[in-house]
Amino acid sequence: MAQHTLTLKKTLLASAMAATLAGTAFVSTAAQAENTLRMAYDADPVSLDIHEQLSGGILQLSHMTHDPLVRWNDALEFEPRLASDWEQVNDTTMRMSLREGVKFHSGNTFTADDVVWTIERLKRSPDFKAIFDPIENVTAVDDHTVEITTKKPYPLLLNLATYVFPMDSAYYSGEAEDGDSKDEIVKNGNSFASRNVSGTGPYTVANRQQGVRTEFERNPNYWDTESPGNVDTIVLKPISENATRVAALLSGDVDFIAPVPPNDLERVRESEDAKLVTMSGTRIIFFHMNQDRVEAFKDPRVRQAFAYAVNQEAIADRLMKGFATPAAQFSPKGYAGHVESLELRHDLERAQTLMAEAGYADGFDITMMAPNNRYVNDAKIAQAVAAMLARINVDVDLSTLPKAQYWGEYDDRAADMMLIGWHADTEDSANFHEYLTACVDLDTGAGQYNAGNYCNPALDELVAEANVEVDRDKRAAMLQEVEQTLYDEAAILPLHWQDLAWASANHVNIEPVVNVMNFPYLGDLVMDAK
Amino acid sequence: MNAPSSALPSRWERFRDSYLLYSFKRDIVAQISLMVFIALVAVAVLAPWLSPMNPYDLAQIDILSSELPPFWVDGSDAEYLLGTDAQGRDMLSTILYGARVSLMIGFGAVALQALIGVCFGLLAGYLGGRIDAFLMRLADIQLSFSTLMVAIIVGALVKAIFGGETFSAYAVPLLILIIGLAEWPQYARTVRASVLAEKNKEYVDAARVMGLRSKRIMFRHILPNTLSPIFVISTVQIANAIISEAALSFLGLGMPETHPSLGSLIKAGFDYIQSGSWWITLIPGAVLIVLVLSINLLGDWLRDVMNPRLYKG
Repeated sequence: MAQHTLTLKKTLLASAMAATLAGTAFVSTAAQAENTLRMAYDADPVSLDIHEQLSGGILQLSHMTHDPLVRWNDALEFEPRLASDWEQVNDTTMRMSLREGVKFHSGNTFTADDVVWTIERLKRSPDFKAIFDPIENVTAVDDHTVEITTKKPYPLLLNLATYVFPMDSAYYSGEAEDGDSKDEIVKNGNSFASRNVSGTGPYTVANRQQGVRTEFERNPNYWDTESPGNVDTIVLKPISENATRVAALLSGDVDFIAPVPPNDLERVRESEDAKLVTMSGTRIIFFHMNQDRVEAFKDPRVRQAFAYAVNQEAIADRLMKGFATPAAQFSPKGYAGHVESLELRHDLERAQTLMAEAGYADGFDITMMAPNNRYVNDAKIAQAVAAMLARINVDVDLSTLPKAQYWGEYDDRAADMMLIGWHADTEDSANFHEYLTACVDLDTGAGQYNAGNYCNPALDELVAEANVEVDRDKRAAMLQEVEQTLYDEAAILPLHWQDLAWASANHVNIEPVVNVMNFPYLGDLVMDAK
Repeated sequence: MNAPSSALPSRWERFRDSYLLYSFKRDIVAQISLMVFIALVAVAVLAPWLSPMNPYDLAQIDILSSELPPFWVDGSDAEYLLGTDAQGRDMLSTILYGARVSLMIGFGAVALQALIGVCFGLLAGYLGGRIDAFLMRLADIQLSFSTLMVAIIVGALVKAIFGGETFSAYAVPLLILIIGLAEWPQYARTVRASVLAEKNKEYVDAARVMGLRSKRIMFRHILPNTLSPIFVISTVQIANAIISEAALSFLGLGMPETHPSLGSLIKAGFDYIQSGSWWITLIPGAVLIVLVLSINLLGDWLRDVMNPRLYKG
């Protein structure tokens, strides 16, 4: 019996070794033939349906598997992609010429109908419909021309076009095997579009195990033959542990990582095997205070007290190691709505006085939720804020979740205070208010991410007016008034604008493809020979 | 007529003359281990009175004093002897409270293991037959899984069913339950073996002839004679349970970071180990090693003493 076991073990060992050897041989020949980029993000996209969720992760995916109509270049100007040219026909109509000879991954030809179909689907998407609300309708003039009509004159239509990634309308038409329509949008659910993808983009999805790894392969029929990109395969792995992600890069297990945790910036910068690229960012990290769940939050004095209790500078300095700009408002510097005079208001005594005035000197209990792999140091920031609120006798019950679960809870408004980071989709101040502080309206999608249930109709009106105001100065004044009011009423609890950092191995040229939106244009990525 | 007291030695006299004490007095390693272990248990139990601050009270934490190094490194603050973690918690206090949680889970889990294991072992060994076969196969099945795997599966199930918040709220009893359930076969097998050796001895036959019930024979007659192996396993098991808890916490399946055990402290500091703030993870790690090592050395000594075949003379 023992003899037998031994033989069996030996056989197993031998075959395992043979397999390993064969595997090594295969990998080394393959590596010579093609460039493989192994990259690690803190999390992988939650779905393959690019209209399911309005989030950084999904938009990063969109730029890999799809192409937008236009995109921002380094100088924040519009660069033609699937739209080759555009002109304003009248105040409310824009005509766009589309690129010819573009094929989807499925082999279908890209036409104006796909653009119409995609924008109509965007207007149905619970997450996207609010930003696409200004669009009245889209018509295909001929196979490669579309006309987009807005309800009122809308100055940000091209900004919007950066979010239109035409989808393969023929591929998504009809019924899937389970009888559901192929184009349905199911949030945090299982739909045909969340499992299958056909875009025009530089990469196709070859294999995907959610939360484990996703393999992309270069689209052999990619229309943009001028793209310098020479990466044939991308393997994306989520590594949520900060230290592990950095160690994976420094040990050569992966070639590209994002984000780089602030406490490891120096280490990556000093490493000889890796390089670091940083940019000051425009993503605001803040807390919502839910007025529907907590009676006390209806009192502006309580919200102000919270604003006075939090020390943004300490968080930016200590937890973020200076890798963030402390914020007292939504709009970062350079945005139309930025108000220079709004200052940080950390003042513990004032906070305590305000709590006492509101009748809550003894504080109250609240629940708080934050993601733990979405923003840089998100869980630690939440812990720090919970500790700061303890100073005004607010007892916080904090839970931190991976983002795959967090957004489900967020949509349910499952806690009294919820952390979220927001990058203005249109690079414009109005976007903050429309999504985050506008009165919640399920039909228009306004306030889709307003987990505070703050509602001030006067501000909604002001933003609506600003959206049709073509005079830049007048528009800026309106948006600044919105920002000032939000600050005075302490509608939200802003913390900081998070800086951006990416790191890669030396032979991967990430500098030209990363940008302030944090949507790396990986299709144009060039890898040198090692 | 006070003959009985001089004829029968008192408990203390018996202990004083025992081989146990004799061997202990001559074993310097055992003495040091016991001292270290008692000291650690004492500071952990007295943590609320000894520690400079209460790490569970968020109002005492100031982020401005985060990541201060321990006292022997430049830039330290005398107020924080062992430095502070990334949130500004005093490491010394956090470690004291963390050791308390670790020990509580260690002892609790072993008590549960012993309870289940001893009962099953006695039943299997004394009653034999089908009950024996059933219980021992059950133990075999469980032994074929690694402890950590069983604990991870049970922990993940509890988290999935009741949600992470409930898990955090009842983390200590749940971890005791998980680790306790995962390791009972160790006890059951040892006890069963001892019972098999004991049950055919004359005193058991005598008890049976006297008409005593099985339960009484098992617990009052046989059990006391199987205690020495139980003591020996218990020391090893406590160390194992503490390590299991630390491993689970390190994997994020154990104590939450707001209520840290030594394992979750090590996890919390892991992000910083290569970025300069090594003390956040290394000091709790060192405490864990010392704690487990002292228990293991004690167990080693106890095994030598209690095993009659290993008399060193």
